[in-house]
Amino acid sequence: MSDKLLLPNAYKPIGWGLLIPATIVGLMLILSDFDELGLKMKVFAIFNNELTGPGRWFSVIKTDIVNTIVGILFIVGAMFVGFSKEKKEDEFISKIRLKSLLWAVWVNYVLLILGFLLVYNMAFLNVMMYNMFTVLIIFITRFNYILYKNNKTES
Amino acid sequence: MKNTIKVERAIKNLTQEELANKVSVSRQTINAMEANKYVPSTVLALKIARVFNKHAEEIFLLEEND
Repeated sequence: MSDKLLLPNAYKPIGWGLLIPATIVGLMLILSDFDELGLKMKVFAIFNNELTGPGRWFSVIKTDIVNTIVGILFIVGAMFVGFSKEKKEDEFISKIRLKSLLWAVWVNYVLLILGFLLVYNMAFLNVMMYNMFTVLIIFITRFNYILYKNNKTES
Repeated sequence: MKNTIKVERAIKNLTQEELANKVSVSRQTINAMEANKYVPSTVLALKIARVFNKHAEEIFLLEEND
């Protein structure tokens, strides 16, 4: 993988520092059924559509921004963790990285197809929500698992 | 492809870590090559041969199904 597409190793701990709290708050949001924490703010929306009423383009609206913040922190954190160089990023590590990424895309879309086949109506919103993050989660898990496996098998 | 890195390493009395540092790769890479789980690039193969003062063909050997 071209080095230009990877962040310096120093971003990795920063990534974990964002990813872990974002995951905890995200899980709390899911468990509380997205009870609004009351962090309302005025934001600019290219497109906004309330459950009732027509969609509106280019408007300033007042809305709960907890999801926005947690979602962005999770993605930035996961990108930092997944796409920062290892301490010694060499050809073998790059190969594991690319293979893990391919593996993650395969698994992710097999799961998504199962979601399409088995989950319907409003419940499918959940599938879509999880699917926004699963590629990154599966990739990070797989990549670190393979690294760990290769680390410990010194004979 | 198989290789004799482990044997050469024992002769030179190098650890995986030391060899890894000499050729600027991670220890996992040496480990994976010794376990025949990774075929190195030509550059890395030549670097390893140079550490052991041998020709690459003496360390890296083709197998039947290659």
